[in-house]
Amino acid sequence: MKRTVMALLVTLMVPASLWAISAEDIIKKLEKNTVTKTARIDGVMIINDRFGIKRSTFISYARGADTMLIEFTSVEEEGMKILRTRDEIYLFYPDAEELIRMQGAALKESVMGSDMSYEDMTGGRTLLQSYKVKLEGTEEIDGAPCYKVSMEAKKKGVPYYKQIMWIDKELFIYRKIHKFSRSGKLLKEIICDDVRQVSGKNIAFHMVLKDTMKRNSSTEFVINDIQINIPLKASIFSLEELTW
Amino acid sequence: MKLSKIALRNITRNKRRSLLSIVAIAVAAMSIAFLFSFLEGYKNDLADNLHTYYSGEIRVRHKDYGKNEYLNPLHLRIESFRGVIEEIEKNDAVEAVSPRISFPTGIYRKEDTYKAIGMGVDFQYEKAYQNLEDRIIEGVLPEMGKNQALIGVELARDIGVKTGDKITMISTTMRRGSNAITFRITGIVSFPVQAFNKSYLLVPLDRAQKLLRMNDSVTEIIMKLKKGSSGSEIAGQLVAAFRAAGREELETLSWEEIGTSYSFIEMASVTYNFMALFFFILASSVIINTTMMVIYERTREIGTIGAMGMIRGEIVRLFFIEALFLSFIGSLIGVLIGIGITIPLSIVGINFGSAMEGVSIEISEKIYPSLSLRSTIFVFFYSVMVASLASLIPSSKAARVEPAEALRNM
Repeated sequence: MKRTVMALLVTLMVPASLWAISAEDIIKKLEKNTVTKTARIDGVMIINDRFGIKRSTFISYARGADTMLIEFTSVEEEGMKILRTRDEIYLFYPDAEELIRMQGAALKESVMGSDMSYEDMTGGRTLLQSYKVKLEGTEEIDGAPCYKVSMEAKKKGVPYYKQIMWIDKELFIYRKIHKFSRSGKLLKEIICDDVRQVSGKNIAFHMVLKDTMKRNSSTEFVINDIQINIPLKASIFSLEELTW
Repeated sequence: MKLSKIALRNITRNKRRSLLSIVAIAVAAMSIAFLFSFLEGYKNDLADNLHTYYSGEIRVRHKDYGKNEYLNPLHLRIESFRGVIEEIEKNDAVEAVSPRISFPTGIYRKEDTYKAIGMGVDFQYEKAYQNLEDRIIEGVLPEMGKNQALIGVELARDIGVKTGDKITMISTTMRRGSNAITFRITGIVSFPVQAFNKSYLLVPLDRAQKLLRMNDSVTEIIMKLKKGSSGSEIAGQLVAAFRAAGREELETLSWEEIGTSYSFIEMASVTYNFMALFFFILASSVIINTTMMVIYERTREIGTIGAMGMIRGEIVRLFFIEALFLSFIGSLIGVLIGIGITIPLSIVGINFGSAMEGVSIEISEKIYPSLSLRSTIFVFFYSVMVASLASLIPSSKAARVEPAEALRNM
């Protein structure tokens, strides 16, 4: 009798394990959804801090996961550009005679006073190259069922030693991210909503980023318009073009 | 015979002993007189540096700037600042004015970023405010309207720049954006304050306004007053003037009211007074010791005088007068030597040079002792009093010795 019960249980469990999705698969699906060949975004960055609200408009161009150009269009920052290449971040200011390459401690500085640091923009590799991932279970975020995936850095050099992502089970987009230091202190929190489908990709049109080290501060990113997989000149992402 | 005559005769009778007493008192008086002058100069230097580089004797800011200062709140600024300066300059007690913008900045050079503090200043005002031209060790003052900068000597050394080189300053703008401008170094300056040499660079005010996108505004206006003017009184007058002009957003404080600045001076004063007190006690003990030793040595002589008929009170008075004469001469010589040392040093200064390296307090490398007539006179009378009173104890004790006992020991 015991043998029969065991055989039945094993028979029931095998298909379940075969159907179960692994953490690696979830991350792959996430990246497949979020990474585009090219993209052009017209957006606004809204910084809320103790001194009030500050809005900076920008246009960004992206190619793949690791190349991006952000050009600020609001009066206060007009002409300022940030170029992210595979390994570097460069800043262009109209009144500076040289390009500024961000490196070392400077990467920890805030981008335009926001809760995002230049370091947050780095990292050309895929998440699986940089982190060991583990599926912790499922949780609901704002009513959306999500996979809870924890990630631990495989090696030094990544901005955050540990991260936890809540990835939408259906849309494969992250709904929430917690980023931690090596000591386990929560450093950043990202919450995404207003998910819309554009050219077959699920895109969060609204994101709120909080640097927990800053009191009474948060930064919102709002996409006004996004175009995906459009033709972009390769020279857009060159240093020569940046100074024009 | 009069006691004073006998006392004078005693002094001249044993010249070596008298000379010893005079020299000991003179050295102690000289040391105290010089120490007082040095500490006075030290305090003056500290106050002058705070007034010149930090708070002024009166400082005008936006009323909310101070409580948010650590957040670099450039938006809490003095708008239309030239109108405020006009109002300030109407007050006859104001000697010099300096409108400024202080801001944290990153200096980008050869792919490295160095942290520094930028200061936007109007070089026309600054010339009068801090004799900036005299402090330039290489190059010239920047010109207003041009992307030129003056850099502290140690900061220049750390970054590896010389006059003619270019640097790019990156900073957070007034609206918490980011901006960068490339400046050419036109001069290297040696400030008397180490902190300025290590971290500061000065740029034309209009260029700082462009970098920080602050339009026609500054973060503070500091001023120096004519000698004898009361900071709090003039600050009160300026508050009334600003209020009448509808500038109620401004906060006007005399340096005594600026907590950090004044408390720093107060703290320094307490420290220096303690130093002076210990030195004072040390010098006093030298005077007391010398006087008492000289009198104890003469116990037998005192007994003999008693045996010859001089009463106890007269003996004590005799030795008191003798000590008074010696201390008068010693103190006078000591104080005069102290003045003689202080006067030239107050002109050329005492250079502490490398000893001040790494010291972050707002003290100049060169200290100019300042002669204070009041403290010098005090030192003179104090030395005379201590030496004279010190004679009372041994002489009254010795005068109690029975003449027969004193004569037996002869």
